[in-house]
Amino acid sequence: VTDAVLAAVSDPTRWRVLSLVAAAGEASATTLAARLPVSRPAVIKHLRVLDRAGLVTSRRAGREVRYAARPDRLAATARWMAAIASEWEERLAALKRLAEAQDGDEPPGEPITPNPRTLSHGRKPRGDGHARQNV
Amino acid sequence: MVPDRIEREIHINAPIEHVWELLTRAEHFAAWYASGGADIDLRPGGRMRMRWAEHGEFHAVVERAERPKLFAYRFARSPHEEPRPGNSTLAEFWLTSEGGGTRVRVVESGFAELDIEPDEQSAYAELEGRGWEEGLAALRERATGAIAG
Repeated sequence: VTDAVLAAVSDPTRWRVLSLVAAAGEASATTLAARLPVSRPAVIKHLRVLDRAGLVTSRRAGREVRYAARPDRLAATARWMAAIASEWEERLAALKRLAEAQDGDEPPGEPITPNPRTLSHGRKPRGDGHARQNV
Repeated sequence: MVPDRIEREIHINAPIEHVWELLTRAEHFAAWYASGGADIDLRPGGRMRMRWAEHGEFHAVVERAERPKLFAYRFARSPHEEPRPGNSTLAEFWLTSEGGGTRVRVVESGFAELDIEPDEQSAYAELEGRGWEEGLAALRERATGAIAG
């Protein structure tokens, strides 16, 4: 088993499929294939991967299956990675303080303690997910 | 396409050799990263231990140690486990001299290969209803490593 969300969106064509579904609100494999340089069976394969990753839902409407995007799982993954990135920024800032401290300066302070949720992958992301940009 | 990596960098007003020492020596590592102390066997294949009182001990293996330019290790993201495919990510520190100081770029990669934790469903459920656009934008930004500074 892999991190299904990231694995699912790391393929460029699949990312386009997902983006198109999200933009359309709801789409079938046929309408998606018309807008992509791949065949309808290929689109269906990509949709299945996205479905398994929980990134799209499907419902039957007459003779076709319509897909809609699910934002929650992608948002959760994005927030988790944002939390990790934020911790790296804090660590680099601590390294900078340490490296630039002269003898006799105030000690650079305590290192940050990582949130266990960012250490144990797949757990709840922490905080608001907004990394600082002032590094 | 969404690469599964995080990149951040910072400029430090200190010589590259000094920064290298802080990055790679266990006694300094503890001062900016692993507050509970660390052990580092600084050679490819060498073992690392990072400790936090709150979380326990995390295990890593040094992959590259090319003084003073590149330090890389693979670490398990759960405590008391040896790093292996599925439980670990790769952290790389790239150092370059720049105007008397040092630029440090950290790259963490391999998130797509991580196993899924069974309790993640509750996390996703908690976030139900958050905006799609926000999720896409944040993931793109983070994953492609919008570099600050």
